[in-house]
Amino acid sequence: MPWLTLTIVLPFLGAALTPLLPARPGRAPLLVALGATALAGVCVIATWIRFDPADGMQLVEQATWIPSLGVAWRLGVDGMSLALVALTVVLFLVAIIHGLGPAPMSRAAAGLLLLLEASCLAYFLAEDFFLFYIAFDVTLVAMYFLIALWGGERRRYAALKFFLYTLIGSLPVLLGIIAMVLASDHGTFDMIRLADEQPIAGTGLGASLAFVAFFAGFAIKTPIVPFHTWLPAAHVEAPTSGSVLLAGVLLKLGTYGLIRVNLQMMPEAFQHFALPVALLGLVSALYGSLVALAQTDLKRLVAYTSINHMGYIVIGIAAAAATGISDRGRELAIDGAVLQMIAHGIVTSGLFLLAGMIAEKTGTRDLRRLGGLFRPLPVLGAVVSIMFFASLGLPGLAQFPAELQLFLGAFDAFPVVGALAVSGIVITAGLFLLALQRAFMGRTPERLHDLADLTRRERATLAPLLLLTVVLGIYPRLALDAIHSASWLL
Amino acid sequence: MGNGGTLQQAKTAEDTMLRELAWLAPIGTLAVAAIVAVALATFLPRAHQRAVATWVTVAHLTCAALAAGVWLDRGFRSTMSATVQVDGPSLALTGVVGIGGAICCILAAPAVRGTDREGEFYAVLTFASLSCVVLASAADAALIAIAIGALGLATFILTGYLRGSKRANEASIKYYIFGTVSGAIMAYGLSWWFGQAGTTSLREIGVALSSAPAGIVVASTAMVLVGLFYKAAAVPFHFWTPDAYDGAPLAVAAYLSVLPKLAGLIALARVLTLALPADLIGWSTVIAIVAAATMTLGNLAALRQDNAVRLLAYSSIAQSGYMLMAVAALDRSEQALPALIYYAIAYAATNLAVFAVVIAVQREQGSVAISAFAGLGRRHPRQATALGLGLLSLVGIPPLTGFVGKLELFTASIDADQTWLAVIAVVNTVISLFYYLRLLTPAILESSEPTVGRDDTDRSGRRHGIRAVNRAATAAASAVLVFGLAAEPLLSLVDHATMLR
Repeated sequence: MPWLTLTIVLPFLGAALTPLLPARPGRAPLLVALGATALAGVCVIATWIRFDPADGMQLVEQATWIPSLGVAWRLGVDGMSLALVALTVVLFLVAIIHGLGPAPMSRAAAGLLLLLEASCLAYFLAEDFFLFYIAFDVTLVAMYFLIALWGGERRRYAALKFFLYTLIGSLPVLLGIIAMVLASDHGTFDMIRLADEQPIAGTGLGASLAFVAFFAGFAIKTPIVPFHTWLPAAHVEAPTSGSVLLAGVLLKLGTYGLIRVNLQMMPEAFQHFALPVALLGLVSALYGSLVALAQTDLKRLVAYTSINHMGYIVIGIAAAAATGISDRGRELAIDGAVLQMIAHGIVTSGLFLLAGMIAEKTGTRDLRRLGGLFRPLPVLGAVVSIMFFASLGLPGLAQFPAELQLFLGAFDAFPVVGALAVSGIVITAGLFLLALQRAFMGRTPERLHDLADLTRRERATLAPLLLLTVVLGIYPRLALDAIHSASWLL
Repeated sequence: MGNGGTLQQAKTAEDTMLRELAWLAPIGTLAVAAIVAVALATFLPRAHQRAVATWVTVAHLTCAALAAGVWLDRGFRSTMSATVQVDGPSLALTGVVGIGGAICCILAAPAVRGTDREGEFYAVLTFASLSCVVLASAADAALIAIAIGALGLATFILTGYLRGSKRANEASIKYYIFGTVSGAIMAYGLSWWFGQAGTTSLREIGVALSSAPAGIVVASTAMVLVGLFYKAAAVPFHFWTPDAYDGAPLAVAAYLSVLPKLAGLIALARVLTLALPADLIGWSTVIAIVAAATMTLGNLAALRQDNAVRLLAYSSIAQSGYMLMAVAALDRSEQALPALIYYAIAYAATNLAVFAVVIAVQREQGSVAISAFAGLGRRHPRQATALGLGLLSLVGIPPLTGFVGKLELFTASIDADQTWLAVIAVVNTVISLFYYLRLLTPAILESSEPTVGRDDTDRSGRRHGIRAVNRAATAAASAVLVFGLAAEPLLSLVDHATMLR
C-alpha cells in the first residue's frame, strides 16, 4: 500500500467531498473531517510500524508527474518527517474536535481544514521541490481563508498581513529552488538527489544568495525576529483552532525547511552563516520572552512565547551547522531541535486552546480583568498550570528534555549564545508564573463567580495534549527513537 | 521514362502546392470564415443574425483543430515564399486564438445579441483573429505592417461597438489614434530596415543589420519596437489600455487583453530573433528593462482601481511585463521560448476565466465596481470559485497554471543571467496580491447583497446567454486548474514549439 500517498490523498479527498455534502447545517461536515483525519492517522501509524529508525530517508514512493520539468510525485520519511507528520495529525484531530466556533462545522470550514491538513502533510512528506513548494503555498491560502472567514474583529487585516508576509517569504524560496534545480546535473526537483548532489556547494556569492533566499523564506515562516510581526496579529485574530494549527503545525514549516534545505542541502554555506543565524535565534528567544512579559492579552502572550521557543530551535539548528561542533553535539542539537518542534507544537496548542476557553467562559482574554479563576474553574486551572509549567520547561514535562538536549548541543558550538539564551527560560518562567497569579489567584471578581468548568468536549480536546505533554516529559524516547537524527542527518 | 520525369516533377510541384495549402489551412479557415460572415451579416434577416455568431464560433474552433492537426501531422515549415512561418509559436498562438476567440464570441453574446449590427460584430472579430494569427506567423516586414494595421482597424471597430456610449466613442478614438500613430512609426522603422537590406524578409534583414552602422540599427529598431510594444501594452505604450477596456463591450476587453497582446508578444519574439540575431545592439537588456517597468507600473497603478475592468486592464499590463521576461531571455536561454508560450496559454485561460465572471456579474448587478462583487460566493458559488481560481492563478499561487507559468518564466530569467529581473518579478508578485485580493475578498468573504442596478423587469433580457457565459467561466477555470496540476502534456508540447530561424 502506498501509505504515504494515502496520508496526503485521504484528507484531500475529504476536502474535495465537502462541497457535495447537503447544504443544511448538520453533522456531516464534522464527520467527514474527523473520518478523513482519522484515516490519515491510520496511515501514519502504518508508516510508523514499517519505519526503521536506524535507516535514513526511507519508504520512498515515486510516480511520474511532470517529467519535462524534472518533477515527480516523490514522498519519503525520515525521523524528522515522521515525527512532524504524527504531530500534524494529532493537532488536526484536536482542532477539528474543537471546531471553529459554537455553530456546527460548516462545509467550507471542514473543506478548508482538510485542505490545510493535506498540504501540511504533503509538505513534511514531500521529497520533490515542486510538491514541497505547492504545499508551502497552499497552506498559506487555506490559512488565509480560515483567518479571514472565522477570525476576530480585525480578521481581514490580520489575514492579509499573514498572506502578504508569508508570500514574501515563499517567493525567495521559489527563486532558491529554481537556482538549485538549474545548478543540478539533470535539472531535477528530486530533493533526495539534490541533498546528495549538493549542486550549490561552497560559500561563493551564488551559494550565499541562494542560502539567504531560502533562509529568508523559512525565517518569516518560523518566525525569526525581525520577520515576526505578522504572527501576533494573526494569532490574536485567528479562531482558536486556527491559532492551534498556526502555532502547532505551520510554524514548524519554517524550521523543518531550515533543516531539510539549508542544513542538509547547503551545509557549507550554513557553516559560514551559522553564527549570524544563531544570533538571530538568540534575539528571537530574548525578544520574544521580553515582549511576552509585557503582554496583558493572553493570546498575544502565548504568541510571543512561541517566538521565544522557536528561537531556541533556530539556535539548535545553527549550532548543528557550526564548524567546531562534535558529532555528538550535532546529534544532540538536532534531536533537541526536532523534539522541541514536537513538544512546542503540543504544549503551545494546548495553551491556545486554554486561552480560547478562558476567553469563551469569562468573555475576556485580558489578564487585568481576570482573577481568582481557580475557585470557579478548578479543573481548567489545573490544566493551565500544567501547560504553563510545561511551556516554561519544567522537568518531567514535554519541553524539558527537548530544551536540555538542544542547549547541550548549543553549548558545544556557541557557549556564549547558549548561556544568554538560557536566560530566556528564566524570563519565560517569570512571565508564566505572573500570568498564573494574575488570572487564577487572588480575589475572584463578582462577575466571574458563576462559571461552568470544562465541558466533556473541552476535556476531550485537551486530554490528548495533556497526555502527550506528560508522556513526552517522562519518556521522551517515544519520539526520540524515531527522530534519531544520527541516521539521517548529513 | 522520357516523359516520366516531367510528369513526376509536375506531380511534385502540385503536391507541394497542396501541402502548402494544408499548412495554411488554419489561416485560410479564418479568412474564409470572415468573408462568409460578412456575407451572412449582410443578407441574413435581423432575426437570424444569431447564426453568424454560431458560424464564427465554429470557425474559430475549426481553426484551432486544424492548427493541432498541422502540428501533429506535418511539422513546422516556412511557406508562402518564406513570408509565413508555420512553426511552434505561430501554431500555438493559432490554437489560442481559435479557442480564445470562440470563448470571446460566447462572452459577447449577452451584450451583442439583438443589437442592430450583431452580424458585423462577429465578422469583424473574425478579421481581428485572422490578423492576430498572421501577425504571429509573419517573417516578413511588409506582412507584419499589414497585420498590425488590419488588427488595429478591426479592434478599433470592436472597441467602439457601443455607439451610443460616449465613453465607448472616446475609448475607441483614443485607441485608434494611439494605434495608427504607433503603427505608422513602426512602418517607418520597417522602411529603414528595408532600405538597409533591400528586402522585406526578416531573415535577410537580420543579415544586413549585422553589418549596418549601429546608429541606424538602433534608431530603426526603436521605431519598430514602438508598434509591437503598443500591441503588447508594454510601458511606455500602455496608456490606451484602461480606457479602451473600460469603454469597450466587456467581451471585447477580454479579447483585447488576451489575443492581440499575445500575438504582439509572439511577433516581438520573432522580430527580435530573426532581424536582430545574436543579441544585436543588446536588445536583451533593453527588453528586460521594459519588462521590469511594465510589470511594476502595471501593478502599482492597479492598486488604486475600484473598477474591476480597469483593475484587470492594469493587471494585464503587469502580465505583459511578466511575459516580456521570457522575450528578454530569448537569446540567452533555451527555456525562454517554451516559457513564453506556456505562459501565454496559461494567461489566456486565466484571464478569460476572470473576464467571464466579470461579465456574469455585470449582467446581474449592472456594474463592474469592486463592490458589485460582494457576496458573489453566497449567490453564485461556482462563479466565485472560477474567480478565485483565476485571480490566484494570476498571482501565481500553486498548483494553478499561473504558478507553473511563473516557474517557467523565473527559470528562464535566472538561466539567462537576469536574476535581478526575476527578483523584481517576485516583488511585483507580492504587490499584485494586494489588488487581486481586493477583488476576491468581497466576493468570498462578504455576504451582503448589493442592490446596485437591480432591475427585475430587465432581468430576462440581461440573463440572455448568461448560462453559456457561466459555462465558459467553468471551462476556463477548469483549464486553470488542470494546466497546473497536470502540466505535463502542455509543457512537453511547448518544449517542442521551436521557432524557425
